[in-house]
Amino acid sequence: MTSQPFPYLLLPTFWAARNRARRREPGDSARLMLFGSIGLGVGAAIFAAVFWLTWQLDYYEELGDYLLRLGLSWLFLTFLSFLAFSGIVTALSTFFLSEDLRLLVAAPVAPPRLFYSRFARTVGQSSWMVATFLAPVLLAVGLARCAGPLFYATALLALAAFVVIPVALGSVVTLALVNVFPARRARDVLMLMGLLFAVSLVLMLRFLRPERLLNVESLPDLTAFFATLQSPVTPLLPSFWAGETVFAALRGGVDWVHAGALVTTALAFAVMARAAFVRYYFSGWSKAQEARKARFTRMRGLDVLARRLPIRPLGRSLLLKDVKVFLRDTTQWSQLLLLVALVLVYLYNFRVLDLERIPYMGAMVKNVYAFVNLAMAAFVLSAVAVRFVFPAVSAEGPAFWIIRSAPVPMRSFLWSKFWTGLVPILLMAEALTVVSNRFLGADPFLRVLGAVAIFFMSFALVGLATGMGAQHPRFNAENTTQVAGSYGGIAFMVLAVLYILVMIALLAWPSSLYLWHRFRELPVPARSQAWMALCGLAAIALSVGTFWASMQKGIRSLEDMG
Amino acid sequence: MILVENLVKKYGAFTAVDGVSLEVASGEIHGFLGPNGAGKTTTIRIIAGLLKPTSGRVLIDGQDLSVSPEAAKASLGFIPDRPFIYEKLTAGEFLRFHGGLYGMDGDGIGHRVAEVLELFELTKWEGELVESFSHGMKQRLVMCAAFLHRPRAVLVDEPMVGLDPRGARLIKQVFRHMSARGVAILMSTHTLEVAHEMCDRISIIQKGRIIARGTVDDLRRLAGSADEQLTPVFLKLTGGAGLQEIDEDL
Repeated sequence: MTSQPFPYLLLPTFWAARNRARRREPGDSARLMLFGSIGLGVGAAIFAAVFWLTWQLDYYEELGDYLLRLGLSWLFLTFLSFLAFSGIVTALSTFFLSEDLRLLVAAPVAPPRLFYSRFARTVGQSSWMVATFLAPVLLAVGLARCAGPLFYATALLALAAFVVIPVALGSVVTLALVNVFPARRARDVLMLMGLLFAVSLVLMLRFLRPERLLNVESLPDLTAFFATLQSPVTPLLPSFWAGETVFAALRGGVDWVHAGALVTTALAFAVMARAAFVRYYFSGWSKAQEARKARFTRMRGLDVLARRLPIRPLGRSLLLKDVKVFLRDTTQWSQLLLLVALVLVYLYNFRVLDLERIPYMGAMVKNVYAFVNLAMAAFVLSAVAVRFVFPAVSAEGPAFWIIRSAPVPMRSFLWSKFWTGLVPILLMAEALTVVSNRFLGADPFLRVLGAVAIFFMSFALVGLATGMGAQHPRFNAENTTQVAGSYGGIAFMVLAVLYILVMIALLAWPSSLYLWHRFRELPVPARSQAWMALCGLAAIALSVGTFWASMQKGIRSLEDMG
Repeated sequence: MILVENLVKKYGAFTAVDGVSLEVASGEIHGFLGPNGAGKTTTIRIIAGLLKPTSGRVLIDGQDLSVSPEAAKASLGFIPDRPFIYEKLTAGEFLRFHGGLYGMDGDGIGHRVAEVLELFELTKWEGELVESFSHGMKQRLVMCAAFLHRPRAVLVDEPMVGLDPRGARLIKQVFRHMSARGVAILMSTHTLEVAHEMCDRISIIQKGRIIARGTVDDLRRLAGSADEQLTPVFLKLTGGAGLQEIDEDL
């Protein structure tokens, strides 16, 4: 039996990261620059905002202190549920689904050692995002209040203890789930649970209509709003202890009660999780290896429907395969739930938007909003495309040999991916634009323009996503989210946003010129008409060019593969 | 049926395949042997159209793979060493999809799917998801797909990996049956007994070059070995005879 301490089991992770850093692949430097700049930019923005806010709160003395204390507590509370859920999902992968576990479980490694190494990995993986976000926040608060080194040391300790508690709890929940369901089925259950949780949170927050708090007439609501923050349960949560500990350190003192509660609870939870894992891990692990017969729907209706479509056999085969694989993969289609919720919230926002409150400006503001709406709809479209269309080629995974060794031209293959992505996205984008413009009460001219523009934009953005997905495939990715978050996915989003901005500029200027003349019942001068036509043609050319060039590049890159 | 001329594949400065030429006639089972990393899989993947050669050409049924890839691939069936297939399709759906890629459509495909499933003893699994299949079953399903469109040539990379003795016997029977019907089979394998038992001719590749070719008797003569078994002949030709001595000492 190995006598090495548990960090020894983490060495392969570090070595793999080190080797990856040493062996740069083409495009790695550009990727590092891009992600690094985005990360630094976001970090700097968070730091600046929190620094400014803390600086401002300093002017309000006691009220400022109260709000800062409340803010810290709320920040930790927000992360508490996120960490617990993230802990559940990560523990499923690190304790039960990782490929290297077969080697480790078969090796003479004592269960507590295996637990510690995997738990350390779970804590790291599920909390790095929270830590990365909190670092500039706590740094900004500390610098704005000129805090001493004690504050930073306490914040670090509090953060470490704080993340251990929900992750330990999440790991134990996973252990219980895996002992009840097989691990792969448990993953589906968790995905659905998490998404339903996220969807209900988004809907609940939106339907509370927080914009009411911004009205002067609703100041009494503001007081009530803050009163609800102080529920009797709050002081019993680790988030409250962490907030209090950090706040006390900010004022130069040590809150021994809350710091003690935080650290001892973290230790107790870790010990409890260790005991549970030593007792139940092997039975759960063993169950995770069992391949149960999966239940699934045969979707015979889809076969019948596809047979009636006027497409070639090859296109029909690819379409049927793609749709069935998508719908049978819970991790794929369940994300549509989140999408539906976001679309509902989006439309609801337009429903409750009260532009009539702005006297004389109503019509103009509405028309400006019609373009904001178009940009937003196109942005939603890009977000959907990066998640569902961009990974379409990569989704073939290691099974891509089937297509490549078959007499299938890469052109036909990529066009099939394009049409499969375009139809649902076009329908969604059109519905979104038409319904929201109707709720908004935009001018009929703009309603037609919006519908036509989003038609062209759908072609361009879906073409861009399909083509770039073929240029930057990741056939070894574990899931499509990883593909969407890759360098190619980010590059697609950057290009998509640039395209949307140029399109809006090309459409908004001639439209506003036309409406200005129409409201004043003046004829549009010939010179302006020529400019307007030129802008319209440029928008069409840009869309067709983006769509066509991306698809051609994608096809070429698939043909040149290997 | 399969004609390979002066195939070269370079990865940077490393030459994985160095001027390989092969010819597999209709009805012939041609073994492709070599030590690990000799270039077998790379050659097979180039012939299957999965990799682009640096130079050289491949003709399948008279069609140049680089000039008319679709026509060349239409006559070919490919069985890779690792059976990665769409896990969320049933066996029947996968085969129908595969048939669609080769232009098979309509009512005829259902009959043909049933036929190949029966041939590879997978009939009762037609409606089950591939994700619930064992490695051997997936391997047999891939073979169903390779023979579904009645190819005139078949490429096989390590056919016996993961198969139980019954499955291995079944595959041998199917290959013999197909070769008797005029299908050309190029088979890369490490299992020398299989090559000995089944192949009409064998090519041995080492460091990217073909170092020997012929029937088992030809190879035996070439190696100067009187041994009945193919293993000592193979080791002698590939310079691994020392390994056999170690094996015998152990």
